[in-house]
Amino acid sequence: MEKKNNSTAKKNGVFSTLGNWFRRTFRGGSKEMSDDEKFAIEKIESPSVMATKAFFRRKLAVVALVVLIGMFLFVFIGPYFVPMDLNYTDPLQANMPPINNMKTVPEGLKNQIKDINGFADFTVGVSKDNTFYLWGNVKNNLTGVDYSDYPDAIQPGKVVAAAAGSDHIIAVTTDGEVIGWGSNGNAQYGYLKNPNDPYTEEPEELINGTIDPDHVRQLICGYQVTALVMDDGRMYMWGNNNSMLSLVEFANKEKYNTEVKKVAFSNYYAILLKEDGTVTGGQTLTFNKQTAYSNKDGQIQNLRTYMKDRKVLDIAATNNCYCFVMDDGSMVVFGASEYGEKDIPEATANEKIVGVKAGTRHFVAVSETGNVYAWGHNDGGQCNVDGDKCSLVYTGSKQSYMVDSEDKLVESVGFSGYPLGTDSRGRDILTRIIHGGKMTMTIGAVAVVVSTIIAVIVGCLSGYFGGWVDMLLMRITEIFSSLPFLPFAMMLSYVIRTMPIGENTRIFIIMIILGLLSWTGLARMIRAQVLAEREKEFVIAAKSMGVKENRIAFKHILPNVISIILVNITLDFAGCMLTESSLSYLGFGVQQPQPTWGNMLNGANNSIVIQNFWWQWLFPAIALSVATISINIIGDTLRDVLDPKSSQEK
Amino acid sequence: MGRYIVKRVLFIILVFFILSFMIYMIYNMLPIDKAAEAAKTEVQANRKLDYNERLEFWKRRYGTDGTKLERYFRWLGIYPFYDGRYDGLLQGNLGQSTKYGKPVIEVLVEPMKNTIFINIFATILALGITIPLGIFCAVKRGSRRDVAVQVGTIIGYSLPTFIIAIVFIWLFAVVLGWFPVSGMTTAGSLHWSKSKQFWDKMYHLALPLIVMTFCSLGGMTRYVRAAMIEALSMDCIRTARAKGVREKVVIYSHAWRNALLPIITLIIGWFLGIFGGSVMIENIFGLNGIGKVYFDALNGNDNEVILALQMFYVSISLFGNLLIDLVYGLVDPRIRVNK
Repeated sequence: MEKKNNSTAKKNGVFSTLGNWFRRTFRGGSKEMSDDEKFAIEKIESPSVMATKAFFRRKLAVVALVVLIGMFLFVFIGPYFVPMDLNYTDPLQANMPPINNMKTVPEGLKNQIKDINGFADFTVGVSKDNTFYLWGNVKNNLTGVDYSDYPDAIQPGKVVAAAAGSDHIIAVTTDGEVIGWGSNGNAQYGYLKNPNDPYTEEPEELINGTIDPDHVRQLICGYQVTALVMDDGRMYMWGNNNSMLSLVEFANKEKYNTEVKKVAFSNYYAILLKEDGTVTGGQTLTFNKQTAYSNKDGQIQNLRTYMKDRKVLDIAATNNCYCFVMDDGSMVVFGASEYGEKDIPEATANEKIVGVKAGTRHFVAVSETGNVYAWGHNDGGQCNVDGDKCSLVYTGSKQSYMVDSEDKLVESVGFSGYPLGTDSRGRDILTRIIHGGKMTMTIGAVAVVVSTIIAVIVGCLSGYFGGWVDMLLMRITEIFSSLPFLPFAMMLSYVIRTMPIGENTRIFIIMIILGLLSWTGLARMIRAQVLAEREKEFVIAAKSMGVKENRIAFKHILPNVISIILVNITLDFAGCMLTESSLSYLGFGVQQPQPTWGNMLNGANNSIVIQNFWWQWLFPAIALSVATISINIIGDTLRDVLDPKSSQEK
Repeated sequence: MGRYIVKRVLFIILVFFILSFMIYMIYNMLPIDKAAEAAKTEVQANRKLDYNERLEFWKRRYGTDGTKLERYFRWLGIYPFYDGRYDGLLQGNLGQSTKYGKPVIEVLVEPMKNTIFINIFATILALGITIPLGIFCAVKRGSRRDVAVQVGTIIGYSLPTFIIAIVFIWLFAVVLGWFPVSGMTTAGSLHWSKSKQFWDKMYHLALPLIVMTFCSLGGMTRYVRAAMIEALSMDCIRTARAKGVREKVVIYSHAWRNALLPIITLIIGWFLGIFGGSVMIENIFGLNGIGKVYFDALNGNDNEVILALQMFYVSISLFGNLLIDLVYGLVDPRIRVNK
């Protein structure tokens, strides 16, 4: 029976010891007292209550604490609400400023929509009364091109069709002029600057001549490419041959540029829907050996044989995938599906689909009965169309606009914008700040725990035992403290980088390195304090009672040092976060694409970024600064309130 | 005192060997083999050569044959090569830079001058501001101005160098256009007169120096203030005041001298610390200093430059520790008696 008791006591040993330290430090001993004694003592507050009260008397510290707790919740709970795809990049959304109107259709357009068209981060619309509208990110901050800077011919009531590409806009006016604006370095419109460039020039008859504005069947823009289809089936196509691999043959061969009903652009290819209901991708995009998916027939091994006797009603293309609507109302999708573009909703199998539109990574289809289905990438909610009824849909890059039979907007769903902008690879900065904060704080916390454990062990042993133990441990401390921190950490990181280990292991090793390099200061402080405590009467009393040395060191003396440890944990936490950020900023800490507050600032050391993309460095910098400032204020206040000297003087 | 100095020097030398061994071993974890590479290029150029024979030759030439310990001692310069020569760190041979194709020493001379120049300048600026400010705060402890400075310094030392640098570049170089964004000289300045070149350099260094000074304000002011408060609470100060000594004399003569000891540590430590910290500043501003060379070497796998600079950083740091110890021993008799 007695043995059993002993073993349970041992099991709880560690925790009860830890608890005892805290209790003794902050609340004093646990002696049984008579009532009189209690009354006498009640007037004297225990150190912990005094310290807590003193802490909360300081407004600055309380504010800092609230801010810090807020940030903790923000970065540790936030990731559950805002998931992040580590490998996601989108060059079309790169370097965007904070914006929130990407799905907001302008008032004048809302009730008389003729067309809505978007390829990248800005969307254009044309109303029934021939007025041109533009919304989204209307200024490219890298090239400085302002899309809202219209040419003179673009006047209200004068535009019959318009389309937006990745960096240019093409419009057809009521006079039949074809007008382009935006970037023009890659033959997006007008004459070539250099005839030898691998570009296809806009046809002469469009630059100087006019077309019949009432018979424009389709105007569409892609990545530095434009196609214009007339009602008689004639198709014009021009732009950058390198970004549109089908361009040369489609623009020049009569086989392709006549009898066209519709054109769809993916990132590198174009597909044509001919008037006879056939679809072609030209020589560059053959349907042979393409594996496709149909919502009625399931997987199709060879798209070419499948398409042989079938007719196509409508086509659409995302960046990498293509969708055909067959005349029987079924749909076929093929291409490199990365974000679920091939997962056509099962409910569409019972419907007759009449039209499909595509954004950058999603498809929206409308059935005969007016049901809308959307699938693909849903990062901005562009696929949340369940239960909506409409007769027509339009798409932006990440938006779906539902329009009823009277051309009134029913609803626009999808991506409204980036609250803090995007970085150079088109990733949302807010998401990265949340996830980066989690990483930065985790690294800081683990590093502090490692360094504190080492410091406590070294400091206590060295201070209490003195003699050769002290000598040895202090020399080791000196060796570690004379390592130049930043260069040494960089070298270690460099050596680790050459090793074949996973990213997570690498991050873990970095945590340990930070901990191993930063324990020396605290160890010295603990040693000094222990040296002072060791001479006090209660230690002599304990010794004379025959308490073991280890026990005296860790149970009698250490609790007296805990206030120092507490203060230093706080301050070191901020310190470790800063060193991690510095390392990551230089590229020797956590590597991209895994974000931390430090490596988010990595791109910000040239004047272009600093000047033009202020949101890319300002927000991570603010997050990091606010966190470290709050932690330091808390640490400082803790030191003041826990230090008996400073409270005596007050 | 003599015994104390000898003891410290011997210890520092021991630590130098331990650290150099440690760093050499870490460096050896890198997957590089100079001899194998040299042999490979040779054999590729001339098919008749025997690879293994050439490998042996280059190994002996570079001193990479034998055990790790032998190689370490060879690198240090206290163990002979196959032909009996000593050619290592102690002989001043730091190796060959692969990027520049020159001995490492030559690569480092010019950047080293720049770095030392920048650091001395920054130290003078920082001390000139922080010491008076720290003393002022200590004397006016608890006053409104002191609290304001305290909050300011917390912000100062909570911000990492690179954030301060980015904000300053944005403000002074981009928005106001007072200083150049980066670089050390204007293009084409080589033909200018010496004095004009100097002022051009100073113009380019102004913003980095401002940033370095600003970064040091937080930590150093607090340190000076704490040391001064400690000194002001000593009994001798009370006695001096009771005697009726003028307050100025009390502060600048009595208290300041007592506060000097920790401040000396601070000054030396800070001056040496910015050698390591200059990696950051030199990279942000594109200054041609050793920090930039180190960074470029790490990114360009220029391993012998890395090793040499790492040893330099360690030596500087050890030298600083020795200096602090000696100064302490010199001014504080308790230390040399205790040891």
